[in-house]
Amino acid sequence: MKELSLNILDIAQNSIKAGAAHIGILLDETPDTLELSITDDGCGMTADVVRGVTDPFFTTRTTRSVGMGIPLLKLAAEQTGGSFSIESVSERDDPVSHGTAVRALFYKNHLDFTPLGDVVSTVCTLIQGAPDVDWHFCHRFGARTAELDTAEMRAILGDVPLDSFEVLEWIRQSLLEEYAGFDTQ
Amino acid sequence: MTVQTLAGLEGVRALTCPEPEREIRGVYIGDLLSWVMGRAEADNVWITIMTNINIVAVASLADTSCILLAEGVTPEQSVLDTAEAKGVNILQSAKPIYETAMQLREFV
Repeated sequence: MKELSLNILDIAQNSIKAGAAHIGILLDETPDTLELSITDDGCGMTADVVRGVTDPFFTTRTTRSVGMGIPLLKLAAEQTGGSFSIESVSERDDPVSHGTAVRALFYKNHLDFTPLGDVVSTVCTLIQGAPDVDWHFCHRFGARTAELDTAEMRAILGDVPLDSFEVLEWIRQSLLEEYAGFDTQ
Repeated sequence: MTVQTLAGLEGVRALTCPEPEREIRGVYIGDLLSWVMGRAEADNVWITIMTNINIVAVASLADTSCILLAEGVTPEQSVLDTAEAKGVNILQSAKPIYETAMQLREFV
């Protein structure tokens, strides 16, 4: 994928498919590194499945339930000298506390680092596609933060659905404004 | 041209060739795997310098006739073992990508 934001889109779609009610997308950035975490409280995976998902052949069967997203994210991180991990607790093993956490660390100064790209569009696309999920997006870079919490928004908006055009446009503009501060540091 | 014939060209050798009789139609060149996955066509020779395990999955999904590794790059044995098991041909060329592609010009 030409942009990491497309990897994020792909991984977060796995969380939606897992039936998650809460999905967190955290980007923790320093001048040298970018750490991506995507966490959800979806149905999770058994230990065997977790071991398999980074194997591209596990995921390329005709009846695959997940795509090449995980192997490609792992590759994107590792080819910058970074690392990748995935942890999951399946609903079957723990009916109360279950879900998946994907973490990828990138070294931004490596020549093979893929730029983050249009993460604002990714977030808007995800919210539009799954407006009932509680999305928490947070991108920290030094003292700057771009953040969005749809549960908080829902409390204020009441019955206005998150996937209405006006709300999505407001989300886009508010994130873009927060990102405008990123360029000046 | 078949994969076996390609493997006999100067500077080219087969690293694993479970399906030597596969016909080759066209060439695709690229290293960004997600890009290649959507664009390489069935029966293409896919020229790349990437050697990780994902190339075998991409070649399998796109149904290319073989992977042709340029610049003499060599994958780990585990990648070759997987390719063998999945019926994916992997060839290697000592030449850079452009020269490798030019060498194929008269055959495809």
